[in-house]
Amino acid sequence: MVKFVFWALVAVALFTVAWRSYSTGQMAAWYYYRASADGFAVNATYFVNATVEAPALLEVGAFERIEGLQAVPVKAGDRLPANANGLILTSVLEEGKRARLEGEAIVVTQPWKIAESKGFKYKDTFKHKGVQTYPWAAAWNVAMTLGIGLALGFMAEGFTDLLGIKLEKIRHFEGH
Amino acid sequence: MFEFVVSGIVAPIFLLVFVGFTVGTVGGFIGVGGGYMVTPALIVFGFPGYMASGIDMTHIAGKALVSTVRHRQLGNIDWTLALSMVAGTMLGVELGVRVLVYFKHLGISGVVLLITSVVVMFGLFLYTQVETRRAHRQAEAMAREGRKVGREIQTSRLPQIFQNIPLFPIVRCSTARIVVSMWVIVLIGIVTGFLAGFLGVGGGFVRVPALVYLVGASTHIAVGTDLVEIVVSGGYGALRHSIEGHVDMMAVLFMICGALFGAQFGSIATAYVRGPAIRYILSYSLILATLGAVLRLLYVLTGQTLEVLALLAVMLTLGEMIFLCLFIISLVVFAVRHKHGKSVPPWVPALVVS
Repeated sequence: MVKFVFWALVAVALFTVAWRSYSTGQMAAWYYYRASADGFAVNATYFVNATVEAPALLEVGAFERIEGLQAVPVKAGDRLPANANGLILTSVLEEGKRARLEGEAIVVTQPWKIAESKGFKYKDTFKHKGVQTYPWAAAWNVAMTLGIGLALGFMAEGFTDLLGIKLEKIRHFEGH
Repeated sequence: MFEFVVSGIVAPIFLLVFVGFTVGTVGGFIGVGGGYMVTPALIVFGFPGYMASGIDMTHIAGKALVSTVRHRQLGNIDWTLALSMVAGTMLGVELGVRVLVYFKHLGISGVVLLITSVVVMFGLFLYTQVETRRAHRQAEAMAREGRKVGREIQTSRLPQIFQNIPLFPIVRCSTARIVVSMWVIVLIGIVTGFLAGFLGVGGGFVRVPALVYLVGASTHIAVGTDLVEIVVSGGYGALRHSIEGHVDMMAVLFMICGALFGAQFGSIATAYVRGPAIRYILSYSLILATLGAVLRLLYVLTGQTLEVLALLAVMLTLGEMIFLCLFIISLVVFAVRHKHGKSVPPWVPALVVS
């Protein structure tokens, strides 16, 4: 009885902590998009129709969230602003073939392809998507998973004891 | 329906709990993580591929721990064997991942991965199936002659070869009643870990047959001991996936809730059967997984144009989970019926404990 109640309380406490952390958005805040190189964070969906004749002009600034034709300068490893789905690399701007920097704006003459994962295709399964989390958050995830696994395991053991179900050790070598 | 804010999708909770239950049952019974079954299921539910594999790996660590606690109670874990193997397994996993990265640089990882999966799984299926049928027939013959049939019947001669390798230090595994060179255990850990790392799975479907046919452990002890390995390797994999941001903890927790019941049932079900019954289920899971891999291989070789092949592979994998779960449930039902003197199919008595 004591074993079941103790481990049930531990499991409930761990679930409550995880639920609270998730529902308040605290856990989601641990995840962020990180720039893989120096350049400008953009949302490529806003300039899919850009051409040489009708280029898209992106306003450069320190925006928290990208809304429309905007670009935010970032260094490799920086956290990307919200709603960004790609980077225009500094090297691409210097080359000037697809896009170039003109004063406080980026002139895009060729759109970027937006690759989306497809449900049944496995080719994207292990592909890195640029999302990273804080290392301590990863340790927290693993500790929480193992803690809950352990608590539930002992809770179940306590439950069968409570019901009077005697699970004895298997006699592996009986009859040998 | 629940909004998984980290994954950015909305999915029904009961499906995650159901998958957790079925994979928990199968994993607790045959000692595998079940990654090759869960990842496609999560993708079907709408989770992005990279997120599905991270959620899968993390839930496997928690679920394996739930099963481990129960297998410990049943005396199915040989801690000496498990701890001797851990270092080799981790080294093997790391090597496997590095070789995979090398093949990725060459641009042929997909095909190589699938061909290796098919060859390894089909080879293991053939050996397990042939040996288990032989053991099954032997158990039936012993029962006909009125001799007592033990918990484990194994006909492979490979363990004797490996146990006779006289390399120092020699390890005595008291629960498994094995005396074997530490180097044999470490080497098996490296090889099975390598395959696990290379194929991107937990490796239980390779490690359990290796523990039975190479080290000479009884099937029950191989299952329990392998689950300890899965807790360690799954925990390491979960950490790596979490660092990459590929884990949605709420999905993991819902699946562990389902696994709580499934893992209990699967683990306790091992007490009702003899070794060959577990090996049968393992071999069927191997052949079904092989078929899934063949379909995916055909899909890749046809230039990923025939979407129906990819869809069939997913359907097969989902069907496999349910089929194996029902098979295990029916074995337990038959075992209970047999114990109470009720009629059961003729192939059952040699596989269950009365």
